[in-house]
Amino acid sequence: MDVVLGIRLKDCTLIATSKSVTRGISVLKEDDDKTRILNEHNLIAFTGEAGDTVQFAEYIQANIQLYSMRENDIELSPKATASFVRNQLATSLRTRKPYQVNVLIGGFDTKTGKPTLNYIDYIGTQAILPYAAHGYAAFYCMSLLDKHYRPEMELNDGLKLLEMSIKELQTRMPMDFKGVIVKVIDKEGIRKIDV
Amino acid sequence: MADRYSFSLTTFSPSGKLVQIEYALNAVKQGVTTIGIKSTNGVVLATERKANSNLINNDTNTKVELITPDIGMTYSGMGPDFRVLVDKARKLAHTNYLRVYNEYPPVKILVQEIAKVMQESTQSGGIRPFGVSLLVGGYDPHSEVFQLYQVDPSGSYFPWKATAIGKTSISAKTFLEKRWNENLELEDAIHVALLALKESVDGELNGENLDIAVISEPQEEALGFKGTNVPGPRFKKLTPEEINDRLDSL
Amino acid sequence: MSDPSSINGGSALAMVGKDCVAIACDLRLGSQSLGLANNFEKIFKINDKVMMGLTGLASDVTTLHELFRFKNNLYELREERKIEPSTFANLVSSTLYEKRFGPWFTGPLVAGLDKHNKPFICGFDSIGCIDYAKDFVVSGTASDQLYGMCEGLYQPNLEPEDLFETISQSLLNAVDRDTLSGWGAIVYIITKDKVIKKVLRTRQD
Repeated sequence: MDVVLGIRLKDCTLIATSKSVTRGISVLKEDDDKTRILNEHNLIAFTGEAGDTVQFAEYIQANIQLYSMRENDIELSPKATASFVRNQLATSLRTRKPYQVNVLIGGFDTKTGKPTLNYIDYIGTQAILPYAAHGYAAFYCMSLLDKHYRPEMELNDGLKLLEMSIKELQTRMPMDFKGVIVKVIDKEGIRKIDV
Repeated sequence: MADRYSFSLTTFSPSGKLVQIEYALNAVKQGVTTIGIKSTNGVVLATERKANSNLINNDTNTKVELITPDIGMTYSGMGPDFRVLVDKARKLAHTNYLRVYNEYPPVKILVQEIAKVMQESTQSGGIRPFGVSLLVGGYDPHSEVFQLYQVDPSGSYFPWKATAIGKTSISAKTFLEKRWNENLELEDAIHVALLALKESVDGELNGENLDIAVISEPQEEALGFKGTNVPGPRFKKLTPEEINDRLDSL
Repeated sequence: MSDPSSINGGSALAMVGKDCVAIACDLRLGSQSLGLANNFEKIFKINDKVMMGLTGLASDVTTLHELFRFKNNLYELREERKIEPSTFANLVSSTLYEKRFGPWFTGPLVAGLDKHNKPFICGFDSIGCIDYAKDFVVSGTASDQLYGMCEGLYQPNLEPEDLFETISQSLLNAVDRDTLSGWGAIVYIITKDKVIKKVLRTRQD
């Protein structure tokens, strides 16, 4: 019941992930970061089968970084990054043991100057969305985001919208997910925001 | 493990030549002359079918072969190598084209596939190049024209209006240059082919010692069934009688 | 529920008119009951006179779109000409059958005009069996409803404008009776000298 949430704003993308790690009825950790930095302007947030998630995210991270090392420090765009991840998941789906990892990729395209949010599930379904969430959190958040989201929102408005969503999740989700880590991806790069 | 040490036999000489390929071309040059002529309504592929002894039963020895219903192929050079290429060409026409697109390959595509096989034999380890030059004639349904190609042991291929390969190819080509024109019809092309072969054959020409095929109009009667919209094969071998008829009016 | 071809939802259909063909799809991408995107197009251009529709598992829709784009690009380089719709249909068929024992979960459609500008449409099952039709073909989670609408509205030899109305009404009213389809629609009309794309507004529920 992890929370993985993303909102694309006017000139940045927000990613929020829950801090709890649970196994059965126990909470094992309450300061977990379910994101990995792929490069300066791409952040992957993940949820899914324990073990698969971090393994997959770090495999992607290593390959995205390898690309930049080989290709003369060229940074893979959000579009290319998302295509690569989708391709890996779609290929993995038809193997003996597929990665069961759902991801959101928050990115900022330095060429077009536009922020993007990519939704990709373990099946390989890819969609570029204004706002997205994986798992049960989506059911509680989407209607809220449908009502209040505006494409031209600034970071502050975005954080308020995120706060509303988190509050709703804290009210309605059956368990305590120990709050969220929030990260922003904009033209400056990736940074954590204290909430 | 053995293949790890089977280096290519075709290697560059210091002057930049691949002598193995030149040797293969020499094998072709010693071969029986073969003629290909394109006309407005068909292609003719003609060659001599030599019998060194009257004890040989020659009528099953075919030198012009059907590859697809609309494409035929013949050669100059080594007969056994030709038959290998015929097998490969027929198989490629199916696996790389018919079974993918449910239609036979255009002439150019098939020629490229054959040329690829021949090129690979010049760069692979442990094998020798093919000792044949091929003439591939056929009909392209997309551009609705007849085509004639030559493929060499190196894997190079050339589109021709009319050409000759083999022992007397140089003189035969000179002859074809004089006799070929844009308005040539199939019967004229067969006539020209017979005249060109006559120059290169020592003995008498007859239906038994010539192998001729044409690719022209669809032959519905050759299908063996009626009542479908399946077009008949355009490839047709001339019978000894048909060849003799034409020789008589030479 | 865990049937791969109805996780994401979506529908498409193609129709033959007089010297023209039409192909249309909805825009919904979902995850079971949850709607994810309302801009997920399921019709792809192959060349100026051939288009294909892909419904079913969204992952396979994306994968197959990329695969056929690749195969078509190679075909155009090799043959130095545009592929005919019937040839492309056979390519789709053999590509799907290659995965006979572990299929792509899609129901493709092909629509186009051949070199004589004669209309061609066909549909496929997930392992490549071609369904040739002279009137219409349907595919997707609303295929039952689409069959009903098409049987009711279709008439032969419609001009492009009337064909557009017929295909649009067939699609719109079919997807309204399917929870997994809808959320907008796209219609393409292919004629000998141009392709017209129209975006339809539909119920947003």
